[in-house]
Formats: sequence, C-alpha cells, structure tokens
Amino acid sequence: MYIVGAGRTKFGKLPKSLIELTYEAMFNAIEDSPLDIKDIDAIYVSNFLGGPLNGQLHFNSIIASLLPSLNIPIIHIETACASSSVALNQALNSLKNTPNIMIIGVEKMTGTELMSPVDAIAMAGDHENDYEQGLIFPAAYALIAQQYMRKFGISHDVLEQVSYINHKNANRNPLAHFYHKEVTLEMIKKSQMIASPLNLFDCSPLSDGAAAIVISNKKHDDRDIRILSSQIATDTISLTQRADMTSFLATKIAAAKAYKEAGITPENVDVVEVHDCFTISELLALEDLGFCKPGDSSKMIMDGDILIDGNFPVNMDGGLKANGHPIGATGLAQIYEIVTQLRLEAGSRQVDNPEIGLMQSIGGIGGTCGITLLGR
Amino acid sequence: MALEEHAALPCLGGNMKYCCVHCKKCWNHPVEKCIFCGKEITQIKETRYKVIGYTEVFIPSTGNEKVPYFVNLLEGKQGHKIFQKTFQKYDLGKVIDLLEDMVLDQKIGIVGSGLMGIQLAAYMIQYGFPTVLKTRSDDGKKIAYSKIQKNVSKRMSEEEVKKSLQHLTVSTKYKDLAECDIIIEAIAEDITLKKEVFETLSTICKSSAIFATNSSSLSIDELAGMTDRPGMCIGMHFFNPVHRMDLVEVVIGNATTDQTKKIIIDLVLKLNKKPIIVKNSPGYVVNRLLLPQINEAIIMLEEGIASKEDIDNAVKLGLNHPMGPFQLADYIGLDICLSILEVLNKEGTSMKTRPATLLYKMCEEGKLGMKTKEGFYKY
Repeated sequence: MYIVGAGRTKFGKLPKSLIELTYEAMFNAIEDSPLDIKDIDAIYVSNFLGGPLNGQLHFNSIIASLLPSLNIPIIHIETACASSSVALNQALNSLKNTPNIMIIGVEKMTGTELMSPVDAIAMAGDHENDYEQGLIFPAAYALIAQQYMRKFGISHDVLEQVSYINHKNANRNPLAHFYHKEVTLEMIKKSQMIASPLNLFDCSPLSDGAAAIVISNKKHDDRDIRILSSQIATDTISLTQRADMTSFLATKIAAAKAYKEAGITPENVDVVEVHDCFTISELLALEDLGFCKPGDSSKMIMDGDILIDGNFPVNMDGGLKANGHPIGATGLAQIYEIVTQLRLEAGSRQVDNPEIGLMQSIGGIGGTCGITLLGR
Repeated sequence: MALEEHAALPCLGGNMKYCCVHCKKCWNHPVEKCIFCGKEITQIKETRYKVIGYTEVFIPSTGNEKVPYFVNLLEGKQGHKIFQKTFQKYDLGKVIDLLEDMVLDQKIGIVGSGLMGIQLAAYMIQYGFPTVLKTRSDDGKKIAYSKIQKNVSKRMSEEEVKKSLQHLTVSTKYKDLAECDIIIEAIAEDITLKKEVFETLSTICKSSAIFATNSSSLSIDELAGMTDRPGMCIGMHFFNPVHRMDLVEVVIGNATTDQTKKIIIDLVLKLNKKPIIVKNSPGYVVNRLLLPQINEAIIMLEEGIASKEDIDNAVKLGLNHPMGPFQLADYIGLDICLSILEVLNKEGTSMKTRPATLLYKMCEEGKLGMKTKEGFYKY
C-alpha cells in the first residue's frame, strides 16, 4: 500500500469556498501522482463542519459534481478532528476491491455565518452533559492542562515554548496559516486568556484549507511512500468518564497496534506530526506515543529536541498551532508533511534523511485517535 | 428592535459555467484547470435563457421567508441550465434576458436625500435599477453618495458594491430626472413643499414618467392636481428601514389609472416587496391604525395609568408587536408622529386623533426620539 500522490492548498483565512478548496486539493494531488483522475476507483472525503458551518452535507455528492461523469463510489467520513486519518484508515480497508483511492480532507471555517464556530466545534464533545455546563473546547483542554501542570509541577513556560517552536517552523512553510507572522515569546506570554491556564497562543486557529492524497495497492514511482500501518482507537468522549486526564488512552492503544503492525518501536521513528490543537496536547502526544516517559515531554521541549534540526523533530510544518487547523483537512496535511519529508522535498524545513514518519490525529478530547506510520 | 442585516438579493450570479472545451465537461463552481486533462478552463456566461420548468413554493425557509415564490428552470442556447428565483410567474417557453430583466428595465428618480431618500436609492441600485437621486446642495450630494455606499456595503461584497454604484447618479439638478420612468418623491412630510416638487417634475420629466410619493399620510389627489398628468400620480409608501420592511402601501388617487397601478405593483414585486392597495385617505392603512395607538399610549402616560416601560411591555408581550408604542414613536421621530396625527385629526377620521398635549410639549422641547438622542427614552 502506497501513497502515490499528495496535494494541498494554502491554509488560513482564505477567499475560496468549501468547494473551491476541495477542487484545488484534488487537482494538486492528481497532478502530483503518476495516476490520472480516471484511474481513481473510489474516494473517501473527510469533512467535519460542512453541515453546521456551511449548510452542506451529503458531501460525497459534491465531490461527484466536481468530477462529472466519473460516477464512482464516494464516501463521507466524519470523526471530528480525526476525520481524515479515519478516512485514510477506511480507504485502506477497501483497497483490495478498489485499487486506486483518493482521500480528500477539507474545511471552511472562516467567513461563515450560519453558526458560531465555537458552538459548532463543541459538537465534537458530549453535548448533552458537558457542553450544557459551558465546557466549550478550549475549556476541556484547559482542564487537561490544569491537571497536567499540577501533577507534574510544570509552568506555563513549557506550553509557551511549544507555541513558539511551532510558529518558528511555520515561518519555513509557505503554505502554513501563519507563514508570514513573526511571533515572539513576549507576544505569546501577553496574549489574551481564553480558558485558564490556556491563552490565545495555546490555541490552534480557525483555518480554511484542503489536502488530498492518492493511495494505490502497488508502487508506481520512486517518489511513492509506503504505508507501514494505519490504526484507529476510541475512548469515552467525556473527561468525567476517564481515570486519567493527563494521557489519551486512545493514542496509546492505536500507537501500540501501529508499531506492532509495522514491526517497529518508537525509537525507529525519525519525524513526527502530532495533533497540537492546544499546546498541552503536544505534551500528551509525545508521552502517549512512547517517545518519552509520562511527565518527561517538557524536558524534550525545553532542551530543543523537537526542533527541526534537533534530534527528534516534531511538527515541522508548524503543527496545528501555526500550519493551521482546517479540521477535516488537518490529518491529511500532517500526512502531506510526512510524505514531503520522506521524499526529501521539504526545502528549508527538510529534516536530515528521515526514513520513518508518524502522524497522530485526535478527534475531540481524545475520543478518537488515528495513527499513521509511513516509510520510504 | 432587531435590525438584522439580511435581504434577499436579485439573482444576477449563478449563470456562470466553467467548461473544459477539450474534455467537454462543465462545472458550476469556479474551476481554473480541468482535473481530467490539466488544461485551462473557459468561462461561459449566458444571459438569454428559455424557461423549461418551474415550481411555485409555498413553504418558507431561511433566506426565502417570503412565499409563495417561483423557482424557474432556465436553459441557455448552449444547453446550460440554471435555476432562478422570482416572485413573478413565467410561462413555459418564455425567453428571458437576465440583463434586460434585472438592469435595463426602468430608470428610477428619487427626490430628497433624507433618511428615506437615501435608503430608497440604495435599495434600487442593489436591485440593479439605474437610479438618479436629486439633492439640494453640492455638499448634500457628496454626503448622500457616501451614505448610499455605506448602506449597500452592509449587505454586499466589495465587488457587488462597485457594480451597484455604477447604476447611481446623484445630482442637484432637476433636469437630470428628465429621462426617468418612475420618480419617487421622498422629501419632508410637508404638503406645500411636496406640491412644489410635483409641479416642477411636470415641467421637466418625459410625458410617460410616473410620479409617486413616499408620503406616509398626505393626499395623492392634492399632489396630482399640481401636475399635467393626474392619472400617472400614485402613492408608494415604503417603510423604515427599507431593506428590512417588506410592505409598500400603493395609494390610489381618484385619477390614478389602472396602467399606472399595474406598473407600480410590478415594480414593487421586482423589488421583492409586498404591495397592498389603498384608496387615497388620510394616513392610509398603516398610520391610520398606528398613530391613534401611539397617541392613546401617550395619553395613558399623561394620565398616570401605567409607566411607559409597562405600556411598551403590554403591547410587545400582550399584542405580540416587536416594539412598544413609545419605542416605535422614538424610532419614527416624534415630530413625524405629530404631523401625521395632525393630518388625521384635521381630515376628521372616525378615531380619537387629537394629539396628546405631552406630544406637543416634547416636540417643542426638541425631544424628537432617537434622532435627537432623546424622546420617551434616552439613546
């Protein structure tokens, strides 16, 4: 199983519509691949808020409208912020019957008027219980941060460093939401409080954008990237049902299965893209994925291990924080980055000769986790 | 008062198709290159369409609150199909030209650049009508232009605003109204001034032009009497804010012809508004119902029957009106309320319409409502 094409749009507050973004990513992925659009046997599309924000559901038929007279099976997958890694996972399951598949992720979050994005994103949580008590998304991650900081005795400085590093990486990624934004530690420290202890720079932005990949059951070209494993796991969505709030069990389970399937250990991984929807999430990810012991991620961060030229580069594209977080497209953008790194095509943010890459995608507050392992 | 900025815009877009000449494929959405062959896309825009199907919709939805309306299925010469929403029924097979229908139709003149004149001009250009607004001074001309620009900007994209403003002429000269098909007078509610306007229009405008007044209570017949064409004079009473209030009182004078009535009703429908037909009489329908209520509310306040807040609540919560009489009076302007009441009182309608003493007092003190920052309430 191979990724034979990858394409994306710029992320950010864009003038293009949901549908225009979709088309652009599909076009770029096909152009990047040795295959023709007519070779595609099925499409999986990942989109989270098309209904509440854009008034558009039945999104698979929209894809069909953009590919007149193909009439192939197209399936829409929604698992909140993990939608695109789950779409890839499901596509892989059907690769036997449909040898060439395209996976598209897209989200249009700015300039929409149907509903406040804060309310719409809260749909990824437990609406009946938690949301009714005012637990909007940043508040849920704020509680995780509060618990984590207390348990391991770390200060907000560590979270500020996560934000700072991600912004610095985004300055090397022309397609990133905050490519042009110069961010200083002082700006981060002084930014507006959103839900204590998280301030504005702890939060990923509302972004528009799309990404797409083409997968095939056989290798077509030297640039093709091998899919070593794709695993998903789930967990209770409400934090009140979990014994430990400072770790995501779904990440641990999916990661363990993925390492096993690929026949590797965390030590074999060279480059990583983790789901830093809030800075605290990056700390949890590094620990849950087995790159360090619980409580030790702050050392990796403060020592600079996770820098692009550090000994364990993380979120080279700027992460959700600074590359942007167009929810339905985010997981595929992470895969796009790993593919680009493994192909050695990442330009000024290229990591030295990586062979294995991992992406972690989280839906809600750890209710879904998708792990993808890729190799050269 | 909920002044939510939302109005249905006419269907001018939606008729663009994006086609790959090489692959013979077409898209409804803006596409730059063909995903099948990678070649550049050709944009095809048609304006002449044949009506090949329609449905009349009776159920309201968001953005389509006004029912019934028609959704027409149109087919262009090259076989491209589009939908178009209208409030008019078209016969199957009819060929319609979107440009002609929407833009080249009638030329509208508006006299007066007060609150209503500005809003009417903004609304007209938003619907694609070439519009001439007559102001008194050069200074007023500049202010009017920027007010109209600001007004349409609230509901349109930058590009649409630019396009709309191309339809607008603001002038201080009556002679620039000479070529207008329909002229709407929207100056102050003063019969003497309005008579002068109608008299002047008579000498300048082409003989086929219809003269309408946006008066809220004055006699059409008196105004018509000043012109060379009483049959082509009519009332066209819009409500403030124009883009939100769907009603237009079409006021028929003694001499108004059926042809004039029909042209004005068609125009009101094209503007996506609901016309009602009223025989010329003081206050027409709306103000004859409303002003006695406002007056009675003020008298109740004077008599100490209830507080103004409670009277407003009574009307809002007990009669299900969106605003109470004091809030509404402040919004309309107390001077305007008084002038309409005086008309009703003088013309001797059956209701109790002698203006309340408090209303006179407040007008004398210059407490005219929202526009002076104080009326019954402070703003």
